[in-house]
Amino acid sequence: MRKFENIAYLPLRPKGSTFDRRIGPLDWVIFAILLLYAIIIIYPFYNALLISISPEKVYLNTPFLLYPKEITMDNYTTVFSSTQLWSGVRITLILLFLGTAYQLFFTVITGYALSRNKWIGKNLVMNMILVTMFFGGGLIPYYFLIKNLGLYDTLWVMIIPGAIDTYNMLLMRNYFASLPPDLEESAKIDGANDVQIFFKVYLPMSLPMLATIGLFFAVGNWNSWYNGMLFVETQSLKPLQLVLREMITTSASSVETLGQKATYSEGLTMASVFFSIVPMMCFYPFLQKFFVKGLVVGAIKG
Amino acid sequence: MNRKLIIDRNSPLNDFGGRVKKSRYLLLMIIPAIIYYIVFCYVPMYGILIAFKKYYPNAGIFGSPWADTSGFGNFAFIFESDKFWQVLRNTILIGLGKIVISFVAALLVALLINEIRLRFFKKTVQTIVTFPHFLSWVIVGGLVANIFGTAGIINNTIAALGGERIRFMANDGVFVSLIFGTDVWKEAGWSSIIYLATMAGISPELYEAADIDGATRMQKIWNITLPAIKPTAILLLILSVGGILSAGFDQIFNMYNSQVYDVADILDTYIYRTTFRERVNAGIGASVGLFKSVVSFILVIIVDRIAKLSGERGII
Repeated sequence: MRKFENIAYLPLRPKGSTFDRRIGPLDWVIFAILLLYAIIIIYPFYNALLISISPEKVYLNTPFLLYPKEITMDNYTTVFSSTQLWSGVRITLILLFLGTAYQLFFTVITGYALSRNKWIGKNLVMNMILVTMFFGGGLIPYYFLIKNLGLYDTLWVMIIPGAIDTYNMLLMRNYFASLPPDLEESAKIDGANDVQIFFKVYLPMSLPMLATIGLFFAVGNWNSWYNGMLFVETQSLKPLQLVLREMITTSASSVETLGQKATYSEGLTMASVFFSIVPMMCFYPFLQKFFVKGLVVGAIKG
Repeated sequence: MNRKLIIDRNSPLNDFGGRVKKSRYLLLMIIPAIIYYIVFCYVPMYGILIAFKKYYPNAGIFGSPWADTSGFGNFAFIFESDKFWQVLRNTILIGLGKIVISFVAALLVALLINEIRLRFFKKTVQTIVTFPHFLSWVIVGGLVANIFGTAGIINNTIAALGGERIRFMANDGVFVSLIFGTDVWKEAGWSSIIYLATMAGISPELYEAADIDGATRMQKIWNITLPAIKPTAILLLILSVGGILSAGFDQIFNMYNSQVYDVADILDTYIYRTTFRERVNAGIGASVGLFKSVVSFILVIIVDRIAKLSGERGII
């Protein structure tokens, strides 16, 4: 079939047409530009990796290090033996699992309730939520709210305020609204109530969508530092990104906080930074399609 | 009063109890959301009062004295300070610059990727260029410092060649370029996906017809691809104007230093720094914050009207 197609249509395809599979000079130009673009994206990571495995002398004296001249694991051994970094990892992992589950639960359940037809007060609640998308009190009132709630300098300040992400909640709502309503009706006839219908009928059907939104939450939690910076003082409660931030901005002191060995601040910082990127690098290629789906669904329906 | 009306079973007022009972499970599911939005979104709106007060944390919002007799003392103060106008100007320039530059960059990336025929290369490039979107600005800030910083790779090269180290990150012009450059580096690939998705929806017949007419590649891009993504592009462009005053706290906060405050300080970084680092009375920060909220809200309304007028569905 395929062969036949080629024979039948190839002569009809004009040169340079969309269906002409030959590679022309313009293709090479596009190829070259995109290759350069990809290299510009990759280079900073590669540079970070190179610095993290190079001894200070090589790092300082070699213009444009392109390949490792001398490999040392000193930076990594120092980083891995630092309690500071591991405590950051611990907090971030708690945020990653607990925070994501918590956000997912409240975001999805709210999206479901708002997707159901006519219940008393629905419009009022919907408007109340929409207003918050366009107007807010700002940072200072929020700061004093957190203090008054007693969340200041606790682990919970990085979890509880994130309960519902309005944008993703509305995505979920649109998704649930797009599912056939017969399901709900027949379950109602069988005597199920709304909570049961949600957990037994709609939730199992929505797992791919849940995975998509959950991944966005997970990335957000992995990258979380802002709430920690504002509201957390205890060193052992700071998430990984905040520990890294302190290392980067006070670059000189990372040697003091982390290392007693023959290490240097740039090497240590880059080893820590690279360490925090690696999990993302490993998972991203496989999860990319979920993220893309989330973005595209949001743009079309949101 | 008409007694009959009151006992009318069909009256919405009369059936209130019945309707609550009927929706009780959904109400149960929505209660956490109601509490959440009241506590974390509406209580801070009450906190806006701080903007009109000289705020003392121990006295609380209610107990703190008004900023002056009119209550607008904080606003008078910020509107008279040169620093505020400088920060506002920076915010608008950076916000607007980012919108334009990122828009063009994302469109270009999408057009280029869309023209690749090699499936494998297309997928790989897409994976690579969308990746930085998922990193925090903390990380990106660190990577940038290691290239442009005083001990970064460029300066190491200069030093190794016998030159003087240059403080790129402390140079106004270089720093602003870096804000735009790193924003494109991090986000252009990801933003291009939305255009690529729209391009994927273009009917191949259009291109076939163009081929038969002997159209060149550029002509096809200009006359088929671009018009097809125009509605999406215009909508995204218009909507992004609503967020112009949020010029990117995370990015600037993780990259700037005191040397470039004159060009890089934006409203959000200014609010944060004056209140939490310089310990200026919180009333000042809150009034700048309120200014930002109100102007942003007005912008969103205007932008929504424009989007609707141009035949797109709006956001509100």
